[in-house]
Amino acid sequence: MWMLQWLPNWIFYAVLIAGVFGLVVSYLIRFLSFIPFLYIYKTPIQIGSMIAIAIGTFMSGAIYDNDAWEARVKEMQEKVAAAEVQSKEENVKIVEKVVTKTQVIKTRGQDIVKYVDREVVKYDTKFAPGGECEIPKEFIKAINDAAEPPK
Amino acid sequence: MNMIKLFVLAIFIILAFLATGCSTTVPVTMKFPESPGIVVMTPCPQLEKVQDDAKLSDITKTITVNYGTYYECAVKNDAWIEWYQKQKIIFEGVK
Repeated sequence: MWMLQWLPNWIFYAVLIAGVFGLVVSYLIRFLSFIPFLYIYKTPIQIGSMIAIAIGTFMSGAIYDNDAWEARVKEMQEKVAAAEVQSKEENVKIVEKVVTKTQVIKTRGQDIVKYVDREVVKYDTKFAPGGECEIPKEFIKAINDAAEPPK
Repeated sequence: MNMIKLFVLAIFIILAFLATGCSTTVPVTMKFPESPGIVVMTPCPQLEKVQDDAKLSDITKTITVNYGTYYECAVKNDAWIEWYQKQKIIFEGVK
């Protein structure tokens, strides 16, 4: 509430107290005979007091409501901050998992390539073009077509 | 004339009351969660192809490399799925 940001809360409580005080005084005004001119202001004092009570009551409620909302906002800010920390922690866990799995995949690939260089390479001459079991061009085409990215 | 002034004053007071509830700022905003980082942000590479005159061992190596590429990409994909599920739980926990 912007009005509560401009003015301190005690002003509205003071307005409420002043209103109650003014209303009480307006009813006791007949007993204040030592101030004779005061009686003619009875009605304006009552109207002013009523307005002051209305404003004071409304703003007291507004202050209470504002305080409740500020507490809620503070609670939410703390939760959001905690969630951001938790989010970063989860990201670290995910990255660690990705790095570990990727390393396993790379190591396994390197091991298999070593195996190929050691064992499969023995059959290269057998499957060479013009050799005993030549690899058909259709086989290579099928592999390359499968490796083609979708367009 | 006095009644008009009183009426205007009453309207002004009522509007002042109503305006006290106005607020122009959003007190709490939650930022979009950050990505896990460059490790999962890099796009998947294209698969390697086999030369027409490739030897059996070259073909086997290319297939092996392509399998590895697939699994590396699958790990990233799984990471994004996990990231979404975790962030959803965290986001829904903020109430």
